[in-house]
Amino acid sequence: MDLDGPMIHFQNVSKEYDNQSALHDITLSVEKGEMAFLTGPSGSGKTTMLKLVYLAEMPDHGSITIAGKEATSLGESGIPLIRRHIGVVFQDFRLLDNRNVFENVALALRIRGIAEREIKTRVADSLKTVNLRHKADSYPRQLSGGEQQRVVIARAVVAEPTVLLADEPTGNLDPETAEGVMRTFKDIHAKGTTILIATHNRELFRNSGKRVFRLNAGNLVGVEVC
Amino acid sequence: MASPYAFRLALQSLSKDFWINLLSMLTIFAGLFIISLSFFIFYNIDAATRNLPEKFSLVVYLEDNLPKEKVDEVIASVRSRREVASVKYISKEDAFRELKATLKNSQYVLEGIDDNPLPDSLEVKLRRDAMGSEPVRKFAETTRKIPGVSEVDYGEKFLSTLHDIRNGMRTAGILLAAILSTGIIFVCYSTVKILFYRRNDEIETFKLLGATKGFVRAPFLIEGAAIGTTGGLTCLIALYLLHHVVILRIGASVPVFKTLLFPANIFLSLPLVGMFLGISGAAIALGRLKY
Repeated sequence: MDLDGPMIHFQNVSKEYDNQSALHDITLSVEKGEMAFLTGPSGSGKTTMLKLVYLAEMPDHGSITIAGKEATSLGESGIPLIRRHIGVVFQDFRLLDNRNVFENVALALRIRGIAEREIKTRVADSLKTVNLRHKADSYPRQLSGGEQQRVVIARAVVAEPTVLLADEPTGNLDPETAEGVMRTFKDIHAKGTTILIATHNRELFRNSGKRVFRLNAGNLVGVEVC
Repeated sequence: MASPYAFRLALQSLSKDFWINLLSMLTIFAGLFIISLSFFIFYNIDAATRNLPEKFSLVVYLEDNLPKEKVDEVIASVRSRREVASVKYISKEDAFRELKATLKNSQYVLEGIDDNPLPDSLEVKLRRDAMGSEPVRKFAETTRKIPGVSEVDYGEKFLSTLHDIRNGMRTAGILLAAILSTGIIFVCYSTVKILFYRRNDEIETFKLLGATKGFVRAPFLIEGAAIGTTGGLTCLIALYLLHHVVILRIGASVPVFKTLLFPANIFLSLPLVGMFLGISGAAIALGRLKY
């Protein structure tokens, strides 16, 4: 992994689904340690961009570099290794209903082969970060939407990724909970993690001083500092 | 090497999808049981017929009035053959005496026979490895050409029938085992495929979190091994029960059952055979699945 250059770099990236353009000729970079936002209306390509970063999709044209690694040239065995450097807060949470909160968060570490003793400490710390230590034994269906969102954040950061991606992390949350979630992201960012948040909620980046990439119908229509 | 977590996932799946796993295990048990039972029958028939050739011998008839030196030459010539285990000379007088003893209750058969009509002969026993129907036929043919030999007699029909029965049984056994083993592998293949599809969402999440193929596959391979091993173990227990409870009990009233041999050493490998078939089925399923 090359951690000196940009963490995420898109060069003339295009992506189509069933001959419909989802992204068109996108070129952008997110620097190491930067916290940036992707915004645009529904269907503008925000989720597709994030999927391309965590390699759930591959571009039809152009190249994507994650921490210096060219994603399109990675073999099947290389993809998991890149994903281990990326934490993702999925829009649909992707929590496992048959596992409690502790096990859901611990999964990210078990996949990385971390020892059981270390898992206990790190999961506890991660749950503490999102103020959910007391819910470790609860199951996802027993939690509110906001709590589930925070569990997903805990799972995304527990392995201390170099890049954190969040897809509409406050989508279904009330303003107070959303503010709490954003505070958590800022704390994580303060530790040096590169963060890219996709959102259509302008309140999240207003007066933040962070770069915002604006997408519309699959095109990058502007980059500004808000 | 599978991690303890892979074993934990496999155990969770075994209990969560208990009925599917139980059904697969019982199918594997049934397949292995039929194979084992066929093997048991073949093993006993084979053991019963294995010693028959030892009682088998060829009779080499010598020409009439062959001088003693010539007889010795024929004996030496036959004895020098690699296939021969023993050679016994039977003079015509001994043969006639034996015939009379055999027919002592039917003396009328020999009435009117004053001269001994029987020739001198050699009783030849062959080594076990030369007992096939073809080697015996060849041996008889070459022996017939030795000067002083008038005829060679042996149970050609008996030998070739025995040979055919054993070969037929072996082929049928191998075919049955191959078909049922393929069936067992297919059961494990289908089970793992069903379990895999049932956990598709979970596996997708594993992958998105950075799981390697090995991490995803390990619990399924363990599950396949567990189902196969349990099927094999159940089969082993069932065979022991069948032998000790059923066959030995019947043997108390029907003595022939007591003579049946139980190949315990071979049957002890059944759990391993089950495990191998289970892992094979799981591996084929995982190799064919797109994920």
